[in-house]
Amino acid sequence: MPRHQRRHGRRAVPLLVGTLAAALLAGCTVSPATQEAQRVQGLYNLFLISAAGVFVVVAGLIGWNILRYRARPDDTGLPTQTHSNIALELTWWALPTLLVIVLFAISAVVLNTNDAQTADPGLRVKVEGFQWQWRFTYTDADVVVTGTRSQEPELVLPVGEVVDFQLVSDDVIHSFFIPHFLVKRDLIPGVDNHLQLTIDEAGTYSGQCAEFCGLYHDEMRFTVRAVSRADFDAWLAAQPRSAP
Amino acid sequence: MTSAELEHAGAAAGHTGGQGIVDYLTTTDHKKIGLLYLFTGVGFFLIAGALSMLMRAELTAPGLQFMDEATYNQLFTMHGTGMIFFFASPVFFGFANYFLPLQIGAPDVAFPRLNALTYWLALSGGLIAFSGFFVGGAAAFGWTGYAPLSSVIFSPNTGTNLWIVGLIFSGTSGILGAVNFLATVFSMRAPGMRMFRLPIFTWNVLVTSLLVMLTFPVLTSALVMLFLDRTVGAHFFDPAAGGSAILWQHLFWFFGHPEVYILILPFFGIVTEIIPVFSRKPVFGYRAFVFATLLIGVLSYSVWAHHMFATGVVDNLFFAITSMMIAIPTGVKFFNWIATMFRGRLRFDTPMLFCIGFLFMFLVGGLTGPFLASPAIDYAVTDTYFVVAHFHYVLVGGSVMAAFAGFYFWMPKMTGRMLDERLGRWHFWLMMIGMNVSYFPMHVLGLEGMPRRVANYPASAGWTTLNVVITIGSVILAISVLVFGWNLVRSIFMGRGAVAGDDPWEGYSLEWATTSPPPHHNFTHLPPIRSERPVFDARMAARATPDAEAPRG
Repeated sequence: MPRHQRRHGRRAVPLLVGTLAAALLAGCTVSPATQEAQRVQGLYNLFLISAAGVFVVVAGLIGWNILRYRARPDDTGLPTQTHSNIALELTWWALPTLLVIVLFAISAVVLNTNDAQTADPGLRVKVEGFQWQWRFTYTDADVVVTGTRSQEPELVLPVGEVVDFQLVSDDVIHSFFIPHFLVKRDLIPGVDNHLQLTIDEAGTYSGQCAEFCGLYHDEMRFTVRAVSRADFDAWLAAQPRSAP
Repeated sequence: MTSAELEHAGAAAGHTGGQGIVDYLTTTDHKKIGLLYLFTGVGFFLIAGALSMLMRAELTAPGLQFMDEATYNQLFTMHGTGMIFFFASPVFFGFANYFLPLQIGAPDVAFPRLNALTYWLALSGGLIAFSGFFVGGAAAFGWTGYAPLSSVIFSPNTGTNLWIVGLIFSGTSGILGAVNFLATVFSMRAPGMRMFRLPIFTWNVLVTSLLVMLTFPVLTSALVMLFLDRTVGAHFFDPAAGGSAILWQHLFWFFGHPEVYILILPFFGIVTEIIPVFSRKPVFGYRAFVFATLLIGVLSYSVWAHHMFATGVVDNLFFAITSMMIAIPTGVKFFNWIATMFRGRLRFDTPMLFCIGFLFMFLVGGLTGPFLASPAIDYAVTDTYFVVAHFHYVLVGGSVMAAFAGFYFWMPKMTGRMLDERLGRWHFWLMMIGMNVSYFPMHVLGLEGMPRRVANYPASAGWTTLNVVITIGSVILAISVLVFGWNLVRSIFMGRGAVAGDDPWEGYSLEWATTSPPPHHNFTHLPPIRSERPVFDARMAARATPDAEAPRG
């Protein structure tokens, strides 16, 4: 094989590995089910493309140097003793700086959009974490759903409107995590946390405590069932009212 | 002076000294203390590694197979605690103890007795923290010890108190060791060894010591506060009594994030010693490299709350930009390493192989960092296996790879014998395969929502196949460590390794200007120090090779 072709082939190896890894990571995320999650997915894809690009360039350079500058058995002398090159070094201070500025700016926009909260959500749910289950209180309707070790609770939510979660805990720190919503927020004793999101897709999604909270942390699971507003109202009306 | 003359001088000085157990128990020689640290670190690596193998056995299938949650929770807590406080730190202190005085041409560290105290405190700390397993159960709340889970109400066991006391010992030891290294660098450099002629490893130990000195007191204070909370009802971290659970996280991560750099910068230093030697070129951009290290050190104080994005109580954007900025000096280091290899004459002996492995693994770990620094993405992946993948690429792919590079590079200097190259290559390839098979699928599991720190997961989650793959990878990884162990036993303890001589790799820094192992006070003669590569200069002067450029003065 001619020398230039062989070298070209070698450069393709990190490219292939990087692309495969990126495709694998992109293909394996859960499908986002809220408006917020779709923005996160977009941001994630941007980061993934940037990271894959940097990987291909850097790994390619390392690989090329390894192959190109391998010492031959008859090499006895020293290569040129280069110490530095200011122009080159300024360039590689500048390149990552530019990338960081761009990624930060876009991150900031997505974060501010997703974290913005309305004073007038369509539904308010108080989420209480305790060792080792959840209690969901539909504040305006006096409906309470409490999980037990043998029966995980179901959190029924309407699609297409802002849901406000008030996140509280009285014992240790827990974290409210629904993988399909690409978000989690901690429940911290002494802190009144809120999370707002708008579900796009009706469906059933698993949820789980994400902050280690003691012995049976792994059992602190729940299910989210997202339904239309009409179905939600019907479900809510059928629930027993808790004592005031 | 030629190496033959040096060897002769070293032999004449009777360099080995006492070797018995009593000698090691009472020694104040920085080299023996360095070896003790390295042995201790490897010992805890094996223990904490064994704990991870037990965890992998449990996670291979959904449901609970071999153990209950109570056991599993102790395992991951002590795995993390052991690897971070009692493996990685002692290995850093070991290499720094042994080589920092040698690299600056000093006979020992500034305070040799303090140095001995530092080691025995570190060992005691590890033994105390792990002794929890023998008194009814070790700590079981993760290495981060979050309040209020670590309070006496939620974690009433003795093992938790032992964990706290063990870490206080370790923290105190770290502070004293850092002071010692700083004093040594600032006051004991040989004539001609200016700051900008220090080997990069020594520079990185210097910056790491600054980080240790400023952050370990915060951890140690927080641990004392936690201990007071538990024993005399101090309520620092008790929200019900006006304390703050979040305060613990701030104090812990104010220590904890610089700690990550404490665990990586010395290993950057090792890699930066090895790559130039095996490229037969000087390190490219020496000053930029030093400034990048200093910048990482300074920035590391302003990034801690990126561990707390999901708490909803910190200024996420501030900590996002500071955390992302870390990527800049880290990227610069990569380019400097690459430019050092560029147009070199690369030799791929085992130390260099592990450096190459380090470059690839740390690249992957580094590239997942910005994901976690962007709060909106972090909300999705924090506390999942994505984070576990990230820090295993950084700390095992990065620090552990580099530590093994250091072992292959410096073992000849420390023992006078070479490690076996063939076993070393087996070790390297098995380790690369094992790590990637084990850690890469963790990214995917995390993106699919598998939380960290769970003993059990439902079969319906669809995580079983990847968990089986991860376990297979971890077995390959464990085998690679056994290969290294056999190499160590065969080459060093059974004495079947080739005799190293003073300078087997044609090194650059002063440790290669003395015998292997060095005599009691290290040097009988020093070459003149006129650049950052005094041994290279001496070799060139001796050979007067016509085709080499004159070394920069």
